[in-house]
Amino acid sequence: MFLAIRELIYAKFRYVLISLIMVLIALLIFIISGLAQGLSADNASAIQNLQADYVVIDSDAELDMTKSSIPTDVKHEATEIDGVDDVAPLSIRMMNASVNGTEQSKDIAFFVTEADGMLIPSVNEGETVKRDHDIIVDASLKREGVKIGDTLEFGEDSAYTVTGFTDNQRYSHTPVVYADGGESRKVNVIALKADEANIDKIKHELDGAYDVVTTEKALQGIPSYSQEQASLNLMIIFMFVIAAFVLAAFFYVITLQKRDQFGVLKALGAKTSYLMKNAVGQVVLITFLCTAIAGGLTMATAALLPEDMPFLLTAGEMLQTSILILIVSIVGSLISLFQIVKVDPIEAIEGAGK
Amino acid sequence: MTLVMENVSKVYKDGPKEFKAVDQASLEVKPGEFIAIIGPSGSGKSTMLSIAGALLAPTSGKVLLDGENVAELSAKKITRQRLEKIGFVFQAANLIPYLKVKDQLQVINVIAKNKGQSRSSELLKHFGLDHRTTNYPSELSGGERQRVAIARALINDPKLILADEPTASLDSKRGREVVEMLADEIKNREKAGIMVTHDERVLDVCDRVVEIRDGKLENNDELSDDSSDIAYKPSEKAY
Repeated sequence: MFLAIRELIYAKFRYVLISLIMVLIALLIFIISGLAQGLSADNASAIQNLQADYVVIDSDAELDMTKSSIPTDVKHEATEIDGVDDVAPLSIRMMNASVNGTEQSKDIAFFVTEADGMLIPSVNEGETVKRDHDIIVDASLKREGVKIGDTLEFGEDSAYTVTGFTDNQRYSHTPVVYADGGESRKVNVIALKADEANIDKIKHELDGAYDVVTTEKALQGIPSYSQEQASLNLMIIFMFVIAAFVLAAFFYVITLQKRDQFGVLKALGAKTSYLMKNAVGQVVLITFLCTAIAGGLTMATAALLPEDMPFLLTAGEMLQTSILILIVSIVGSLISLFQIVKVDPIEAIEGAGK
Repeated sequence: MTLVMENVSKVYKDGPKEFKAVDQASLEVKPGEFIAIIGPSGSGKSTMLSIAGALLAPTSGKVLLDGENVAELSAKKITRQRLEKIGFVFQAANLIPYLKVKDQLQVINVIAKNKGQSRSSELLKHFGLDHRTTNYPSELSGGERQRVAIARALINDPKLILADEPTASLDSKRGREVVEMLADEIKNREKAGIMVTHDERVLDVCDRVVEIRDGKLENNDELSDDSSDIAYKPSEKAY
């Protein structure tokens, strides 16, 4: 790193310029990742956090849980199957609720299951569902002014009382409300807790009449979920490719410019591997500093965003993305390393060789 | 004998034609001896120097550097030999633009994994560069740059010093100073030295002048006899 660091200091201006570009690219990658994660949670956190491993879903529903219809009998059947640890029904209705009988109305996703079933999430404020017409609601409704004890009315004669708040329960960009459904003949899906090893057997026992899919797979059926994620992920992939090419082009040109110096250093006895280490060292150093700066700026940006903006980026995901940026940069610099290998030390002596 | 070149040839193929850059050349250089190779451009003197410096493998013939046959060494060992046994002084100094004067020498220690300051501050003082240690090459005069290049060539205490047109970018006074400095080092520290040049004004500083014409070496006895009368006496200053 003797050469690498001294060159960075000497040629500050050009390296500051390329660093600026790298910071902006990394910042954009972080922000789009945060947006992708945030939108994903906003659209599907209720399913991502569903306390079940599999859902039994109608084959014709194309994974859209709201379109699926399954007789409640299947739930009793499933309970009997060996290898199924727990079972709960789930019905999802997209609804409009008025708060305390006022004009104020909210779009919500109404999740109907069994009050004592596994799907009811834990509450972090208030109490869980105990009676009919008790509901627990996603904490995002709290920001909109809903309090414990408030009444949500769905149409004429169905009023529910908010007894508790839960976290990270959103579906199709609306807050989720959990309620007890009592006995009904049909439900949307049946949620299962089961070990992966038994899943083929369970499918077989259910006569293959229904699909049994992981909750992760069921995300694909949420309206617009896949499209949203795909377009954002495409942007992120493009940013990675751009980062690789920008760095590759920059270091390629710089390396070409330094051809003579590499010749002299090699003639003086520097090993190619030593020169390569310095070149890679420069790339790693610049990328490391740039992603660190971009990471800081991302956190500052996240702090400034309004609270209801769907933006979610954990430290772990940021670290993962940073490592990926670093790998991409190193790959981008490989083309320059090839140039270093090709330089013949004889170039240091003018007129020699051919 | 520090360097022995025996019947060395270098042949380039240009389609069906062959071009002999160096033709059956033999040369021996003893410790403390300073040889000049002169010749018109294209005569093969740079090729000769490159072969002596283990930068170029000869097509035929033998090169013994400090008793070792260079042809039998691996590429890695040859690089190591250049680092430890040979000091190069290139045309136009060829310093690394982003290194300060002291780092121009230090980089050799880093490459060679030498610990400590070694002789760099002594050498810089010896060459009158002690007030320039934190300057970049672009801030130095041509003579100063060439002095840094000589100091760089000496930092690892090599046995053989090879200089490629060291006076090319200098006026005659500075050019002579630089060659005299080289000669001093070679004599005082018992090194073998070869200089490729076409600057005839500095030949009297050398012990022997060899002329190369179309790849063939001719010992130019006349010139060396001449110069023996005014043989260059090395200065006594040691460092």
